[in-house]
Amino acid sequence: MSLIFNNIVAIFRKELQGYFKSSLAYVIAGVFWLLACSLWVSEVQLWTAQKEAGQVVDVPQESLQSFLSGMWWLVMFIMPSLSMGLYADERRHRTLELLATSPITNWAVALGKLLAVWTLFITLMLPVCLLELLFLSYADPPITAGVFIVGHLGLFLLAAAILSLGLFISSLADSSILAIILTYALILILSLLFLLGERWGEPWVAIFDQLSLVKHYVTLTQGVLDISSIILFVSYIVLGLFLTAQSIDLLRFQRR
Amino acid sequence: MGIRHNLGTKEYYLGHNWECQGIQTGDKLGWWGIFDNRNAVQNAMIEVEHLSKVYGSTTALQDVTFAAQPGEILGLLGPNGAGKTTTMRILAGYLPASKGTAHIAGFEVHEHPMAVRQRIGYLPEAPPLYPNMTVEGYLHFVGRLKGLSAGDRPSRVQWSIKQCNLQDVQQTLIHKLSKGFRQRVGIAQAIVHNPPAIILDEPTIGLDPRQIIDVRHLIKSLAVDKTVILSTHILTEVSMTCQRVAIINYGKVVATSTLADLKAQQTDLLTYELDVQGARDRVEQCLQPLDGVLTWRWLPAQTAERRKVRVTCNPDTPIGHQLSHSLVHTGIEVHEMRRLGTSLEEIYLDLTTQEVDTSANDKDAP
Repeated sequence: MSLIFNNIVAIFRKELQGYFKSSLAYVIAGVFWLLACSLWVSEVQLWTAQKEAGQVVDVPQESLQSFLSGMWWLVMFIMPSLSMGLYADERRHRTLELLATSPITNWAVALGKLLAVWTLFITLMLPVCLLELLFLSYADPPITAGVFIVGHLGLFLLAAAILSLGLFISSLADSSILAIILTYALILILSLLFLLGERWGEPWVAIFDQLSLVKHYVTLTQGVLDISSIILFVSYIVLGLFLTAQSIDLLRFQRR
Repeated sequence: MGIRHNLGTKEYYLGHNWECQGIQTGDKLGWWGIFDNRNAVQNAMIEVEHLSKVYGSTTALQDVTFAAQPGEILGLLGPNGAGKTTTMRILAGYLPASKGTAHIAGFEVHEHPMAVRQRIGYLPEAPPLYPNMTVEGYLHFVGRLKGLSAGDRPSRVQWSIKQCNLQDVQQTLIHKLSKGFRQRVGIAQAIVHNPPAIILDEPTIGLDPRQIIDVRHLIKSLAVDKTVILSTHILTEVSMTCQRVAIINYGKVVATSTLADLKAQQTDLLTYELDVQGARDRVEQCLQPLDGVLTWRWLPAQTAERRKVRVTCNPDTPIGHQLSHSLVHTGIEVHEMRRLGTSLEEIYLDLTTQEVDTSANDKDAP
């Protein structure tokens, strides 16, 4: 058991150090901070302006909610660029043979990688959260901590689900570019499943609504701690890890 | 009978009369001791039995059997595409075999993959390196993966750096290293966790002559207490490094033997190749009365007058001098006369071009 834990930590450290050594991660961080912070500021300005225009709005609540909805798009576009190289690089450098002949399971490798890239995302989000808290500490009426926490929990779970699926796609492709394009396609399909449901009618509406990432994310951003939403995100995360472990296992049967 | 069977199937496939020497008496006879399979079963660090691997409709390995003892360097020799890499990947637990078993330190690779992975060091054909890591960082990472404890790791990493002569580049990023250095980092990662069995797939490929010599020394120094299996298609590699060789061709082991025995076995019959100028029947008249000449074979003539003949003789009565004397006295010009079957190169070529015949003999061997 301790060996498995040590292995996960080894992969986690290696991946995280890899990000801090690569220029790509800094570029992504720069773009992310620029977009996330300006999104937050513009949302606050927008709702403040509406209040000043005489409308009855709960500025902090509305700002937070629209900010998190906007973050949906940002996360969707930034996360695949973080996950694209996770396995594609291993395949390119032919290092999978090292992992496959070390006393470590495919599960542990996948989990270590996912935790590393998720930690990177959380690190990226920390300054943004500080900025939000800075604004919200002056909010009138004050926002409840629960809404803030649940909304951000939703964001972190969404990121983890996208990263986990991105991890799987990365394990299928030799090239990072192909991995990122395929990940975009998969995430878009999963997000917009509910549109398909609306077109096909019952019972598809109910089924696709339950599977859609968007609907469950929106529930959480409204501050509603819906267990089924959390279960859905966790299921996507586990599914991504499972498929990754399986696809890496299958790779060994390829003749190269 | 049990021993006889074991000996026949486990160690010797040369279609040769080996069993007469050791088995009928039942004793360990001199060098026979190391091939006694009662020992092999208990002590072999690496033991491969009837291994087969099929990819779709291609058979990559067919009934491969060999064993390597602790402290031994076994060379897997064969042309490109013979199945060396597949064998090594199965041993390393990377590929599952279609049939057969492989044991490392007593653990079966399919049944106890994790135990096997802890006990092997494996250098694949392309060294598995992360270009953005430093040499030291990379070796620490591999050490962690292989389960080295935090206390042992620094000393083990430094040991492997020293063994592979990487002190000058230990803080260098791997992508800045030359091919020779990368290969050595690859070897360093295979030994960092002090495994009892080391599997090296073409360890000297791409190295310059000086580095090749260094790597050979390194491999020999490792083999003091470890078992090393290395693959190569270069003969000198085997003759310089290995004590024993398994020659593999078209997925089959066509011979496993010590180098000396391989040479001895192939030179059982003495063959001279003569390049002569003179009439064919006159040459034959010369050969006929000589004691010890068993048979001869004419090679396709190059010119009308000059031709080559291979004369097979009984090795017990060396007749080289008589042969040349008799030919010269008959007035035949001898341009060249050389003894065949002594160079490893010829044995190798012989074994890897007659795989069908040899495998037929294998089955007959008891």
